[in-house]
Amino acid sequence: MPALTAETAVATLMAGASARIDVEVAAKFKAGDAVVARNINPAGHTRLPRYVRGKRGTIDKDHGVFGLPDSMAHGGGDAPQHVYSVRFSAREVWGAEAPPRDCFYVDMWDDYLDPA
Amino acid sequence: MASHDHTEPPSDIALRVKALESLLLDKGLVEAETLDAIVDLYEHNIGPQNGARVVARAWTDPEYKARLLSDATPAIAELGYRGAQGEDMVVVENTPEVHNLLVCTLCSCYPWPVLGLPPVWYKAAPYRARAVSEPRAVLAEFGVDIGDDVEVRVWDSTAELRYMVLPERPAGTEGLDVEELEALVTRDSMIGTALLEAR
Repeated sequence: MPALTAETAVATLMAGASARIDVEVAAKFKAGDAVVARNINPAGHTRLPRYVRGKRGTIDKDHGVFGLPDSMAHGGGDAPQHVYSVRFSAREVWGAEAPPRDCFYVDMWDDYLDPA
Repeated sequence: MASHDHTEPPSDIALRVKALESLLLDKGLVEAETLDAIVDLYEHNIGPQNGARVVARAWTDPEYKARLLSDATPAIAELGYRGAQGEDMVVVENTPEVHNLLVCTLCSCYPWPVLGLPPVWYKAAPYRARAVSEPRAVLAEFGVDIGDDVEVRVWDSTAELRYMVLPERPAGTEGLDVEELEALVTRDSMIGTALLEAR
């Protein structure tokens, strides 16, 4: 492997590389749908944060199709699927003493969600 | 304590960086000037001054602001900012009713083309945990008091989207031009850990 040149390094950083995958995949959910985050506890990589596992939220926006890190991190292929911004209320996550108006938006792949 | 007449050794992190740099060079993985070029890029060309230009433009151009909030990546690229860790951008707007706060609870995801590299506290475990468990307490420690009538929205960048906050334009800045407005915009205001004031 040739040594990385300054020119290539800077050009690569300036160009970026979107993780978006240009493939048609049906979305399991749409904005406004009630969902529940799966309570999974894989031994390997996941981007599903522990604090929302098992919590109910609402699909806020569909961001399009991306590869699933849980699969890609272990050489399992892209497993392309939709990523959504999912809104959880602070009270759903932290209980009745949490501020009533506050909320979290977490970006989540289809495989992290079930219909609520 | 006795006075020292010898040179103190560099910090652990400085030694670790030197060791990594030596290995990259000795193994022929990078050319000598490559690391300097990357450091120079993020010291001089890519940083929160870019985000400040985006914010000032949005404050002064309602059509630009609408494009920025509906599809941020091309709107940011209009000003020449794009690249690694900004490929898929979302901009969220602070209003009198909503205050937005950014975090990456899983690691340190951050919108490089508009804000540069993340500050140390943003990558540290206490901020990453507490930004979701007690965001209002974290904001108070940054000097930001949010009223009970305001909704705090915490954006956890767990996937491939990168976020930037569009802070509120401070009162008393009606007479300023776009360059003067840019100078008011701070890095932390675009993370959500600061509010802006007219100087």
